[in-house]
Amino acid sequence: MIIHSIFFFIFSFIAIVSAVMVTASKNTVHSVFFLILDFVSISCLFIMIGAEFLGMMMLIVYVGAVAVLFLFVVMMLNVTQQKNEWFASSSSSSHIPMGLLISIIIFFEIIVVIAGWKYKTEVVNSFPLGINLDVTNTHSIGYVLYTDYIHVFQISGMILLTAMIGAIVLTFRQRTGIKRQSYLKQISRERNESIELKEVESKKGVKIDV
Amino acid sequence: MIDINYILPELFISISLMFILLIGVFKKNSSLLVYNLTMISLFILIILLINLRSLPSNSFFGSSYLIDELSNYMKTITVASGIFVLLTSSKYIKSINIFKIEYPVLILSSMLGMMVMISSNDLIVFYMGLELQSLALYVLASFNRENLLSSESGLKYFVLSALSSGILLYGCSLVYGFSGSTNFNLIADNIINTENGLTFGIVFILVGLAFKISAVPFHMWAPDVYEGSPTSVTIFFAILPKIAALTVIIRFLYVPFLNVIEQWQMIIIFLSIASMIFGAVAAIGQNNLKRLVAYSSIGHMGYALAGISTGSNQGIQSSIIYISIYLIMNVAFFSCLFMLRRNDKYFEKIEDLSGISKNHPILSLCFLITLFSLAGIPPLAGFFAKFYIFLAVIEKQMYFLAIIGLLSTVIAAFYYLRIIKIMYFDDAKQKYDVDHHLGLKLSLIISTIIILLYFMYPGSLVEIINKINLI
Repeated sequence: MIIHSIFFFIFSFIAIVSAVMVTASKNTVHSVFFLILDFVSISCLFIMIGAEFLGMMMLIVYVGAVAVLFLFVVMMLNVTQQKNEWFASSSSSSHIPMGLLISIIIFFEIIVVIAGWKYKTEVVNSFPLGINLDVTNTHSIGYVLYTDYIHVFQISGMILLTAMIGAIVLTFRQRTGIKRQSYLKQISRERNESIELKEVESKKGVKIDV
Repeated sequence: MIDINYILPELFISISLMFILLIGVFKKNSSLLVYNLTMISLFILIILLINLRSLPSNSFFGSSYLIDELSNYMKTITVASGIFVLLTSSKYIKSINIFKIEYPVLILSSMLGMMVMISSNDLIVFYMGLELQSLALYVLASFNRENLLSSESGLKYFVLSALSSGILLYGCSLVYGFSGSTNFNLIADNIINTENGLTFGIVFILVGLAFKISAVPFHMWAPDVYEGSPTSVTIFFAILPKIAALTVIIRFLYVPFLNVIEQWQMIIIFLSIASMIFGAVAAIGQNNLKRLVAYSSIGHMGYALAGISTGSNQGIQSSIIYISIYLIMNVAFFSCLFMLRRNDKYFEKIEDLSGISKNHPILSLCFLITLFSLAGIPPLAGFFAKFYIFLAVIEKQMYFLAIIGLLSTVIAAFYYLRIIKIMYFDDAKQKYDVDHHLGLKLSLIISTIIILLYFMYPGSLVEIINKINLI
């Protein structure tokens, strides 16, 4: 199992270094890049211990959604100031090489984890947990999620609802003085309400805009 | 098949939450309607919970959800204090322009989380309940988003609470790792006394829980959050999450970890002593009543923890009595605070109380009774609360804890008495408005009468609580 431990040390080394770099790097965009690298390394570690569902969820949720959201947020902060920094002098733009470096490392990690698939470690049954090792993670979660853990599932639904209400409460602002289009009003207008015939006296004209 | 009667309160509160939300969304200007509907649903809820008492205790969902005397009682007082919160604060939230449909809905969802926490017999269920209640609390704290202090308090509570949740989850994973289960009963069967990792797990989970009840040294957020959030949310903060978190502490320590009591007893004693002393000393210099009540609640949580630290049934019961009386006293205190209103502006400084006995004799008398009770002066309810705690502590020969508790009571009495002195002997200021709405008057009268006349029927509360046996 020497290969397995080598892989483990590679991934954990990258994970720890990138976690340190998240806080150490001065550029916020680089911090997010390192965060993504950290997430990918940790999900590789999960896959190595046989928790493939957790690993894939890490990739989808954290890398796919959270980290990209972070990237957007970071890029939106201080836009003017950063724009100046990025575009004023082309030499100071270090995002592209940094991004390339990190994507190369991620590519390398994925190669390693797929290649090292067959070197999976034997799960040691230290506690009588009653785990059936023949069933995959996804299957065994599927067996219990809607049966034994239905209450937890429902409560997490309530949590999401509360989170949604909270986000709306904190960000929604009723703006006044906006002209809104109302289809109903437009359609239900009658001819006699909107058109008025006026006798125009000669040499006097009419005032329309009252 | 689950007997649906047992989880009827939770089902009812979630369904009424969604129903009320839909009404609020589809009906224009329905804030008042939504508020009243919430109140009605809470009244129905309390009836459902009282009905539940006739059923024998039972557990559900693979014994991860427990309905017993403890959960029934705690849920009942949670809902009752929720009613008091809504009763007292309707005018206040109108006057600071946060009378929106989301406000009662968030309160309901937070209470659902608390009920889940109270009934949980499993680390996962408990964590879900905790997150549900605190997620709503983050939003409630920063509900008055035009106010800088309110936004700051919401953010502060969010960041610190997320940190404590992280620590708590780490503790949960350690406990799971060393016992092989998240269920409290199975943990109790599986734990090995000498395992160090398990102790770490208990400590980390206790850190997360101590944060929720703002016990020293995890109290830093409390004064700022109490001061910054709207007063109607402060009263919510001061009462409801503490009931839920205290129940979880009791269940968490006494169901899975009763056999390893020597591992956690010292921690709870330390939290208790530190909270009592800090709550007494730090409140002296405050001149904002909301900050003062934050420190006083820290101190009160210290007494409640002293009861838990005894490791006896009597200790748990005394803590439960303490939290029940604490909630009544806080309702009375905040009702008085809501009455300090002049031209739709609310006052919360101690010097605003100066000489109100001349202009408002009845209000100041109620305030006097509440403060005496908070200080623990006989024959008011607050005295009995402390009395039961000390009785349980001395029964277990923990004299040191009892002495510290008594000393900090004396120190704490100073700042309560200082407010009374300012109220009665300082120069009178302008009059406050007296046209309070019925709900506020009602809750002040009810809570003051309970505080005042508790000594005549102490048996009725004790009798209910004596049924709660965990050991």
